[in-house]
Formats: sequence, structure tokens, C-alpha cells
Amino acid sequence: MEQARSSWVIYLSLACALLFMLLPFPLEWRVLRPDIATLTLFYWVLALPHRVGVTTAFFLGLGQDLIEGSPIGLSSLGLMVSVLVLQSNYQRIRQFDGVQQSLMILVLLMLSSGLEQWLRNGIEMPNLPWMGFMGLLCSAGCWLVVREILRFFRRYYEVN
Amino acid sequence: MLLAALCLSSLFFFRDHPHVVAVQQSAIDTVAVATGVILAPVEAWERMAAAMNSRSELQDEVLRLQQENRVLKGQSQRLAALLSENARYKALLRSAQLIDDELIAAQITAVSPDPSRHIVVIDKGLLDGVREGQAMLGEEGLMGQVILSGDRNSRAVLITDSVHALPVQVNRSGLRAIAEGSGLIDQLLIRHLAAKSDIRVGDLLVTSGLGGRFPNGYPVARVTEVVISEGEAFALVTAEPISALDRGRHVLVLQRTVGSEAES
Repeated sequence: MEQARSSWVIYLSLACALLFMLLPFPLEWRVLRPDIATLTLFYWVLALPHRVGVTTAFFLGLGQDLIEGSPIGLSSLGLMVSVLVLQSNYQRIRQFDGVQQSLMILVLLMLSSGLEQWLRNGIEMPNLPWMGFMGLLCSAGCWLVVREILRFFRRYYEVN
Repeated sequence: MLLAALCLSSLFFFRDHPHVVAVQQSAIDTVAVATGVILAPVEAWERMAAAMNSRSELQDEVLRLQQENRVLKGQSQRLAALLSENARYKALLRSAQLIDDELIAAQITAVSPDPSRHIVVIDKGLLDGVREGQAMLGEEGLMGQVILSGDRNSRAVLITDSVHALPVQVNRSGLRAIAEGSGLIDQLLIRHLAAKSDIRVGDLLVTSGLGGRFPNGYPVARVTEVVISEGEAFALVTAEPISALDRGRHVLVLQRTVGSEAES
């Protein structure tokens, strides 16, 4: 395996995406906040599946939980499973056009947040409201934008 | 596989483990610093706007505040007399201890990004005397309670959070009940109240002090609807929190100090 180059770009982009969670949103509209951190993770898994994988997903999930103040490990499991699915299908998904890819991302987001809901039930935390699905749609809608931005940075810094 | 096991075990077995809680506590402060950095441009803009406020506006405000202060002082005179009277009665009744409430002023700095919870971050922590379980008050009434404190910041849950419930009583009749959060920012629910109970629309709910978490007598909510359906054993009561939970940034944290024996 060749030497990893500029891998700091990956981690910096993930950290910035986490910071996006801190931007103030009105209380009732938080549901619609696009999940930029997860999208960033998906992008890097799709682009560099040999660099970014389940371990990164685990730590990103930890970061999300610490920021949200939810019990540690709540977001990680869903992210890990959806990254696993993404990793085993990345070659096919790369060939998709924009709309197809967004739909695929929507499915993956539903998978990860579905697992999170299941865990929430298990530890008796309140579930997401039904509007949460709109949030997933918003996230999937942001996929193309996130992809273009991150692709620019990946090419600019020649990350591999 | 190992990481998944780690996730599940931390969720189901070690959720309240001291080490896990310690990590969460330090995360509160780190996250608060990061939020501060992100919000710095907004703050700077607000400060500039405040500096641009005209002199006459400021004078008006000073005048208004002075008047308000005079009124409040007048009211507190009466309160002091009542308090000492109350203390004498309590001493007569040999009730063991008087409780002094000390207030810590704090500001809400952030709202948790988790859309299913009503959790806010305030800018006072362990170093300022804010501890887990202390009540958080708004200008008009009870807002919530502190659930986790870092050194300089704390996380507090609002009374409308859907897993929060607090013991209240109807101010008019003394009827006790449990007010549960509904997950909506302007609604509390009282579920298990007998259909024949003496509760009406417009009643003020105050904390009852049962359970020992919240001190008694702080206004919580006003009843907006009482639904009694035929054949149901319980009435469904909804109430609206008195303090505007989603507006304003300034809050007070109640630090309870159990006072000495009542002076006679």
C-alpha cells in the first residue's frame, strides 16, 4: 500500500463538519439541520475506502454524541453499519449519477438513523419526531454540494 | 466487531460509569469553547449594534430600569416582612430547617443539536457552584434543571423535554399532580389526574417540592385545557409553561443551601 498523503485534510474536514452541528438553529427547526458530518464521512469512504472506514465512523459517532450530550455510543453503531454497507458497494455507487447517488445516500442515512432509533428505544430515550425524516431528506439534498466541495479539496491537496 | 461491542456495552452497561461521565463533563467545556469561537462574529456584530444605540435610547432604558427597580424594592420590603413572619410560624411549628435559596445568574449559550431533546447549555459550571439537579429559573417561572456540569459550563434539561416530569400542585386548590414534558416547547401534560379533580382552565401550577428536587412554590405553568371524556377514569390536562422557554438568554440557577435552625 502506498504512503498516505495529506490525510490531515480528511480529519480537518470531519472536524469542521462536526462544528457545523454547533451553529445555532431555532429550537423547532433543529430537525431540518442537514447532517453534514455524516455526509462528509460518506464522501471520504466513497472516495478513499482504504483510508476511511469503520474506525473513523466510530470516532465520528463519539464526537456527535459528546456534542449532543446523548449517551456515548448512540450514533456510532448506525454510522459503522452504514459505512460497512458503503464500503462493500463503493465501486457500484461511484458509477451512479447525481440523483441516484443522493437516493443511495438517503437510504444509508435512513439505515444509520434507523439503528439509532432502535438503540434509543432500547435505552428509553425519546425517539426523533416524524419530522426527522424531513431532516434526512435535507441531508440527502445537500449530498451533491458536499461532494463537490470535498472533491475540490481532495484534488487540490492530492489526498489519497 | 470490537468497536460495535464497545458501543453497545457503553450504552447498556456503562452509561453512568464515572469514567464515561467524566469524559462527558470535559466535553461540555470543550464544546462550549468551540461554540464560542463559531459565534464570535455574531457576538461582535451584536456588540457593535449595541454601541451604536443612541444616547437617548439608553437614557430611556436607564429610567425604565430605575422605575422597575423601585417597584421591585418596594415589593421585596413586604416580602422580607412576610419571610420573617413565616420563619416565626415555622419555628412555632417546630419545622426543622429553613431553606435559603441563592441565585446564580447564567446565560444560555447553546441548544443541543439533538432534535428529540430540549437541552440547553448554560455558561456556569462546577466552579461557579452549579451542580447536577439544581433548578433553573427564567424571569417568570421554572425552566428546567441542570443535568450535567462541566467546570465552566453545564447542560440543563427544560421542563418540556419528553422524558422530564416534575411534581406540581395547583396553586388555587393545593391539588398535587405530575407535569410531564410533551416534547413540544409550549406544552406540559398532566395525565393521571382523576376525572373529578378540582382543576380548571387558567389555574396556576407551582412546584410542590415533593421529591426534594425542586424547591416548592415556584410558578411552572398555567392550565390551558382540561379534557374529560365520558367513561375515562383520568382527565387529560394540558398546560403552558409560564416562562418562554425558547426565548431569552438569561436564566437563574437555584443554589439551595439548607439554613440553620429557624431563629425564634
